[in-house]
Amino acid sequence: MKVLSFGRAAAVLTVGMLALTGCGGNASSSSTSTAAGSSPAGSTAAAATDYSSLSGTITAGGSSAQANAQAAWAAGFKAQASKVTINYDKSQGSGGGVTNFTAGSYDFAGSDAYLTADQAAKAQELCGPGGAINLPVYLDGVAVIFNLPGVDKLQLSAETIAKIFSQQIKTWDDAAIKADNPGVTLPSTAITTVTRSDGSGTTQNFTNYLHQVAPAVWTDPVSNKWPVAGSSAQQGGSGVVNTVKAGEGTIGYADHSAIGDLKAAAIKAGDAYVSFSADAVTKAVEAAVTPAANAKEGDLAQDIDYTKLTSANAYPIPLISYDILCTTFKDPAQAKLTAAYIGYIASEQGQKIAAKNAGSAPLPAELAAKIQESLKKVS
Amino acid sequence: MSAFPATAHRSSAAVRARPADRIFRLLSTAAAVSIMVILAGVALFLILRAVPAIAANWTSEADLKSGVTGGFPSFWSYVAPLAFGTVWASLIALILATPVAIGIALFISHYSPRRLATFLGYIIDLLAAVPSVVFGLWGILVMRPFLLPMQEWLNTYLGWIPMFSGSVTSTGSSILTGAVVLAVMVLPIITSISREVFLQTPKLHEEAALALGATRWEMVRLTVFPYARSGVVSAVLLGLGRALGETMAVAMIISPAIITSFRVLTEGENSQTIASNIALNFPIATGLQRDALIGTGLVLFVISLAVNMVARLVISRKPRQRRRPTGDDGGKATAAPDPADVLAASDARVSPVSVLHPESVSK
Repeated sequence: MKVLSFGRAAAVLTVGMLALTGCGGNASSSSTSTAAGSSPAGSTAAAATDYSSLSGTITAGGSSAQANAQAAWAAGFKAQASKVTINYDKSQGSGGGVTNFTAGSYDFAGSDAYLTADQAAKAQELCGPGGAINLPVYLDGVAVIFNLPGVDKLQLSAETIAKIFSQQIKTWDDAAIKADNPGVTLPSTAITTVTRSDGSGTTQNFTNYLHQVAPAVWTDPVSNKWPVAGSSAQQGGSGVVNTVKAGEGTIGYADHSAIGDLKAAAIKAGDAYVSFSADAVTKAVEAAVTPAANAKEGDLAQDIDYTKLTSANAYPIPLISYDILCTTFKDPAQAKLTAAYIGYIASEQGQKIAAKNAGSAPLPAELAAKIQESLKKVS
Repeated sequence: MSAFPATAHRSSAAVRARPADRIFRLLSTAAAVSIMVILAGVALFLILRAVPAIAANWTSEADLKSGVTGGFPSFWSYVAPLAFGTVWASLIALILATPVAIGIALFISHYSPRRLATFLGYIIDLLAAVPSVVFGLWGILVMRPFLLPMQEWLNTYLGWIPMFSGSVTSTGSSILTGAVVLAVMVLPIITSISREVFLQTPKLHEEAALALGATRWEMVRLTVFPYARSGVVSAVLLGLGRALGETMAVAMIISPAIITSFRVLTEGENSQTIASNIALNFPIATGLQRDALIGTGLVLFVISLAVNMVARLVISRKPRQRRRPTGDDGGKATAAPDPADVLAASDARVSPVSVLHPESVSK
């Protein structure tokens, strides 16, 4: 307990420090700490889909990829349960979300990666023997965006992408790119690769994809920090998008929901080149996920096997973001409230709202059903 | 700072202390103590959190081997390039900012008409109030494309100088662009302190120099500069302190790599700074990685402390080493009595920086 409170104090201090050094806009709501117990006893009779009798505050935070969706979900949920307040702090990032969650400050954490063995052990200390469960609630795809005047459509194979991003191909008229794009006139413009300067789940997914699908070319590690020197590294998905847009001959990667009007390359899967679509992401997740090795009962952590994605209707680089919560809460009412909210997120309505407001892809029906099943065991 | 206890104490002994006196003294003492406690608390927090990461084995610890801190054999090999980058970026910024700042300060204090001087002073102070995120955005959207042609030119024609070598940036997010924006950010600090210091020059000295036949520029060189030297140096060092800790603008503009590189025009070879590295990677960092980042914060803390201590040392040191007029300005100066003696004659010196509170300028 002493360690926990120290950790929290440290977090507050750190935020304060960052603020002092001129890092504005860090409106952290993490200081509200555990908001358990604010739910009156009367709310226990709520049915699964009628949220109107729920009340209380859900405190959460983490992944900024989920931020837009979380805002939409919170608004949508509030429309049906007016007495509920939901605070999702996106300034924390995935790492901060998990840290605060295992410190007991959050009801659930948003994270682009499921808990590691270490983190799961820490979560078990907090949650009891049942531990924490990872629920994949948010799907998107990593888009390879480019800005090359005169070229509107670009097709790339995994090997070519790996060669470009590991700086082995320097110009746009390279033979490998030509081979992927028969009939397209490519200029001899130099390639500038644009990557993330901050640690990111998108980078983790993208390097993992290259590592799995093009191991002969991509020899760099899988990492949430971009591992190759010589790129133009920019802060955040928006930084990458802006820099690709402003440059010429630039190519970068970003969550598809964040790319705006930039053009994204169609990526080779099997024999076809697949463009991004929400439907193709859903199909990809259906086809390529396998439960993670260390997953407990009810835990839906998924490993993606990108090499399975060879069909023309599945987008080759899907991205999964999780909400992580305890199976056993200290306060049953808070458990009910949090489970209801995440149930709403995973519901058809919740997924539709996220698709509309955040550009995410809907969950496969089977996975959504499993999430509801897992949530029933949360108490 | 030093004036308060001596005089106040004596008079309160003479007059019987009243409750209000005592309360006020208690309050101000408490305020003074609290700053020490806060500083000690921050230092303690940094040390406590940093020690596990510094002591850990970076080649075997799973947390440290991958992700944010991956690829470094030890804490010191991780922090060294970051410390270098921090100092390097700040140094370039200071080299760019100092001459301009002194020029502005001098114009305000000695050349411009009074009304214009007041107005300019306002503008400079306003510059200090611009949030660094705004500077960052300005850097990305305006300065990056604006400086790009200049950087290409430098690379093409002066590329034989190691600093300007390498493959030139194509988006503009080089350390030079970052340093230019940093320079604009430290400008108000250096300017406003220098201006105050220049204004402190005793009128007598200036008039003496003018009376001896010095031109305006010679007057400035012979009386203002020697008098203000230590104040300007401390202004520059305080500017350095600001530049060292600057986070947002640097994080947004520069395309960083954790390497030691003197090149300033490249895209992929810009040395990262400590503050922006923390800002960029802290959200995703977990466990020991966070401790490692806090450890780099400790190093930054030490660097800033050292800079500030040097600044204090410079201020407190007996200033003015006498500098004899050098050969190039020969005739006139030597014909007049040595101006250094004129200066030394009246030693009613006010410590230039104690009259203001430089801290209040640095936001």
